[in-house]
Amino acid sequence: MQTSAAPVLQLTDIEKIYQTKTIETVALHRINLTIGRGEFVSIMGPSGCGKSTLLSLMGLLDEPTHGTVAVDGRPVQSYSDKELAGLRNLKIGFVFQSYHLINDLAVLDNVELPLLYRPGLSGKDRRQRALAALDKVGLSARTNHFPSQLSGGQRQRVAIARALAGAPEIILADEPTGNLDSVMGEEIMDLLLGLNREHGTTIVMVTHDEQQALKTQRLIRLFDGSQVG
Amino acid sequence: MLKHLFTLIWNRKRANALLIVEIFLAFVVLFVVGSLLVYRWQNYRAPLGFAYEQVWVVDLDPGMQPKAERYATQQQVIQRIKSLPGVRAVTRTSSNTPFSNSHNSSDINRPGEHIRRPASNVYDLDDAAGDVLSIPVEEGRWFDRRDDGALVAVISHDMKELLFPNETALGKLVEANGNRRIVGVTAPYRADGDFADPKQAIFLRNGLQDTTFDHLQTLLLRVQPGAGGALEKQISADIRAIGAGWSSNITPLSEAREKQMKTVLTPLVALVITCVFLIVNVALGLFGVLWQTINQRRSEIGLRRAIGASAGGISGQILGEILVVATFGLALGLLAAAQFPLLGVLGVRVGVYLTAMALAAGLVYLLTVVCALYPSRLAAGIQPAVALREE
Ligand SMILES: Nc1ncnc2c1ncn2[C@@H]1O[C@H](COP(=O)(O)OP(=O)(O)O)[C@@H](O)[C@H]1O
Ligand SMILES: [Mg+2]
Repeated sequence: MQTSAAPVLQLTDIEKIYQTKTIETVALHRINLTIGRGEFVSIMGPSGCGKSTLLSLMGLLDEPTHGTVAVDGRPVQSYSDKELAGLRNLKIGFVFQSYHLINDLAVLDNVELPLLYRPGLSGKDRRQRALAALDKVGLSARTNHFPSQLSGGQRQRVAIARALAGAPEIILADEPTGNLDSVMGEEIMDLLLGLNREHGTTIVMVTHDEQQALKTQRLIRLFDGSQVG
Repeated sequence: MLKHLFTLIWNRKRANALLIVEIFLAFVVLFVVGSLLVYRWQNYRAPLGFAYEQVWVVDLDPGMQPKAERYATQQQVIQRIKSLPGVRAVTRTSSNTPFSNSHNSSDINRPGEHIRRPASNVYDLDDAAGDVLSIPVEEGRWFDRRDDGALVAVISHDMKELLFPNETALGKLVEANGNRRIVGVTAPYRADGDFADPKQAIFLRNGLQDTTFDHLQTLLLRVQPGAGGALEKQISADIRAIGAGWSSNITPLSEAREKQMKTVLTPLVALVITCVFLIVNVALGLFGVLWQTINQRRSEIGLRRAIGASAGGISGQILGEILVVATFGLALGLLAAAQFPLLGVLGVRVGVYLTAMALAAGLVYLLTVVCALYPSRLAAGIQPAVALREE
């Protein structure tokens, strides 16, 4: 469809300012970033430097104050809320530090969730895809458990399965190992590396762990809202 | 998506139980009150079986006059009133005139029959009553001079259905102060007023030979349109002049009707007001719980936005959820409501219950949608990026 030369994500001259009644926070300043297809990029920086903000702009969850975000070479600022939602559903998978699983839904229902928002899929299709995704993260035996019955590492694997179920081109992971001990963190990191290697999934990951960052292809450092190398 | 909503609500059944109970109660209250209102309304819409406009009731009080003289005086009074230019017709009747809340009821059977039946209203009238009250006759005729020397009766539609369900009633006998031959069948007659059920009625003819004053001391007049206070005063004066010590009390039937409607409507209005208060309470409860739920579910809503729900999709989901919850409550409510016609609790027609069920269900859905509208918009307005960073 699109020329393969177009980058998956392109951020041009991004400025993000949070305006509250009393203060104005410049969360991002003059960010220019290109994420190529199949890249595994990590983002590092001290707390509050704008990493999560950057990820939510890439994930089309928020709009920049200035500058443009382009997906597959197409700027998205003119897209309607509905179109953006469709694009997120189709292209992007999210993984969060705090998992964001729905506690009242069983593992399988959690993983099926993104597919519910995709028109034209039968219940059977959804189930099969969700089961396949759970198989990839090694949780086939836990489909009927509830999140509260799982360990932190297992919960994060469910969240990754949920991101995978929709077969997105991009996975945006915001400190996915931040709540996990090093052994579980290692497992998650291996999972992401495997996805990138075997399926060519583009991954942008925020991390505090230098060791993890070293395993990725490119490292972006942020400081006080600006890119520093 | 619907299956997803069911799963979600089923898994949160404890949190939703309160809402379900509230909706169940709201439905049952609306259903019961609705049944009464529908019942009254349907009766109100049905014809009365007589005309009350331009009909006056004249209650005669003979005072201390000796009993033997009363009939003659009453005849003089009738002749005098008949001769007044504003009066079209006069009839002598028992005191159970329309809207009077006065009854004369009795078990009416076919001769020789001994079946326990619901009691019937018995009206003693004369030949002019059919004209004065414009009682529509479905079959046969109202009584007249041809019936002199015979014992006759006219019965209402409902009595015909009760005593002669599959045959003609004309010419048959009924037992009411002797065996009487039926000469006519009227439309359903509802002297108990606009809100009452039709009850079977029998009209007994009192011919000229009937010279008692007792039980027939009330007159009904049909007056000219526009007749008013002047005629009323004239009649009162004439009665006083003819009968020494006589007095009278004149009431237009339309006035009696209004008074009677008030006595039925007052408790109904009180019931409706109570019901409205209750429903407003339920609505506020629903609204509060929903609002609170939205605040507790910010992170879930943020996540749903992230994985592909649009703002409209979120508000649709919230509305969908409350409608599913309402459906659970309604299902329970319908089970309870179905017992009413089965057990005959309120003693109204089955159609009334069904109409009330449909009305109550519609109102409950409307109520839940109205209560969910603002919370669902609130949910749609949640910024995903903000909601996802909380915790
Ligand atoms: N919704 C918001 N309103 C106001 N300020 C915000 C908001 N979101 C983030 N910020 C501010 O923007 C800056 C960057 O935040 P964030 O992107 O979360 O940093 P990081 O993820 O690197 O810790 C911080 O100073 C934070 O307080
Ligand atoms: Mg962050």
